Amino acid sequence: MTQPFLQIKDLTKNFGGLRAVNNVTFSMERDHILGLIGPNGAGKTTLLRLMTGILKPDGGSVRFMGKEIVGRKTWDIVNMGIACTFQNMRPFRRLPIIANVMVSCLSPRAMKRGEWVKRLGAKAMDALEFAGISDMALEKASTLSQGDLKRLEVARAVATEPDLLLLDEPFGGLSPAETDLMAKSIKRLHKGGRFGRLHSEGPAMIIVEHKLHWLMKIVDHIIVLNFGTLIASGTPDEIIKDPLVIEAYLGKGGI
Amino acid sequence: MGIILYYLRKLLSVIKNEVLVLPSRVVVALFFLFLLLLPLFTEDPYLLRILTLTSIFAILAASWDLLSGFTGQMNFGHALFFGVGAYGAAMLNKYAGIPPWSTIPLGALGAVLAGLVIGIPCLRLRGTYLALTTLAFPIILMGIVFAFPDLTGGELGISGIARLARSRVANYYIAVVVMLGLCTIMWKITDSNTGIIFHAIREDELAVRASGINTTRYKLLAFSLSGFFAGISGGLYAHFMRIAGPSTLEVSMSFQVVIWAIFGGVATIYGPVGAVFVLFPLMEVLRFWQDYRILMFACVVLLILLYMPDGLFRWLRDKTEKECPRCKIRNVAMRHTCRICTAQLD
Repeated sequence: MTQPFLQIKDLTKNFGGLRAVNNVTFSMERDHILGLIGPNGAGKTTLLRLMTGILKPDGGSVRFMGKEIVGRKTWDIVNMGIACTFQNMRPFRRLPIIANVMVSCLSPRAMKRGEWVKRLGAKAMDALEFAGISDMALEKASTLSQGDLKRLEVARAVATEPDLLLLDEPFGGLSPAETDLMAKSIKRLHKGGRFGRLHSEGPAMIIVEHKLHWLMKIVDHIIVLNFGTLIASGTPDEIIKDPLVIEAYLGKGGI
Repeated sequence: MGIILYYLRKLLSVIKNEVLVLPSRVVVALFFLFLLLLPLFTEDPYLLRILTLTSIFAILAASWDLLSGFTGQMNFGHALFFGVGAYGAAMLNKYAGIPPWSTIPLGALGAVLAGLVIGIPCLRLRGTYLALTTLAFPIILMGIVFAFPDLTGGELGISGIARLARSRVANYYIAVVVMLGLCTIMWKITDSNTGIIFHAIREDELAVRASGINTTRYKLLAFSLSGFFAGISGGLYAHFMRIAGPSTLEVSMSFQVVIWAIFGGVATIYGPVGAVFVLFPLMEVLRFWQDYRILMFACVVLLILLYMPDGLFRWLRDKTEKECPRCKIRNVAMRHTCRICTAQLD
């Protein structure tokens, strides 16, 4: 039997007395974009952080391409092929934008995959071009707007050439026009192909997002968390009709 | 002959197109020339001694900048590396009879080990906690030094070790050439891919990890490199002064390094080096007013930091040069258009 691309089983995380992620179990395929939604404080970001090794789970397992990743260091997980962006952007503010991306290009995974391109700067520029901020490559990251910082986060993640990309609120702080552009970029990245010197096979994606209207357009499957528990899973059409989801977002009176 | 002319022409074109275009580069070139040619004009022992010690401490200040300025690993116990380098070189020379040219690098390797000893337990610490923990290490080593007086000489230190070289001028040249060489190496490290990762670790370590970089390895590398360079300066100091004493491990030595680096400009390499060349001779000049020497020194440092919070040399550089808004290349402040892309600078 073939192993699922990503399999999460009984994943649990407590913060003191609060159970932030409660026995979450799901799996996803290589060619999917998965939406992860839920009200504020549902445990979405915590779940992503557990998958990237930033937080250690109290129980459960995460298997990526057949390998257990719980207990591994964050950089190991990134080099296995899982890259993530942060909800609260974490740029290297005093470095030029291109240097921000070069750090990702210097990861062992990116160095190995881009062996045929020796010029680090050229690879970093391609990632910036994909994200649409290559014209500002030499500016300091501290000068970027919120929207551009989001793009920088995506460029940094893309530069590691991941198999699974975890995007934490990629549309947060973006105007409708920017959101539309970012949604198209994400779709294009998922399809795969060559982006300059970056050779993307089209990563699978898990997207945490509150802008459901945009999210529904790009994802194949959605899972919903509430109080750390997975309450629904299905296609976007199924999810918007699910009474449990409506109750989680609008309360009992919403039904 | 043709080849010599070719390289001469190349050198001239580099000087014309790369050095003479920026005041900071001209100053660095003149500084190199001044240090290398000074003994041709004077062999005043006092002056050469001060400049030799200044060169040795410049290595120490730059090595602190590599670790704390660039990588952001705030080290308040940098005297540990200096002391380990000094004691290592002195003990190897005194008890094993090894000559200075090999005791100094061996002592520096001891300082690398000290760097790893500090680095490994401090990997999880940041900011104030790291600073206070590192502060403790030289004090612990000083306790060890006092605990084994037969080996370390106790309070008196290890004296009577071999000279660095026979003449004052040779001593001076060894210190100056090693300083110029090591500082250039440190500057090249900070300018390399490794340097980018050091910078990034200082900015946000978690984001570096999430970029797939093993931050533990790079932080230990920073501790080891900094330890190595500081250890070299310790070894040079021991052989120049012909003594390795507990003063090399004192808290004041650790803080002196921090003051030098902040005074000149953190995360620049040239800043701390320049600061030592200003502050160390300044302390000698102020000897005429012995009672108020430290007070005067403190006033100078405070005034500079009040008006130039990014450091004296960064301030000077920003006053004499400006960055092109388009291509980010630096130009002389007097220029109105960029020397590379011809964009308007005003």
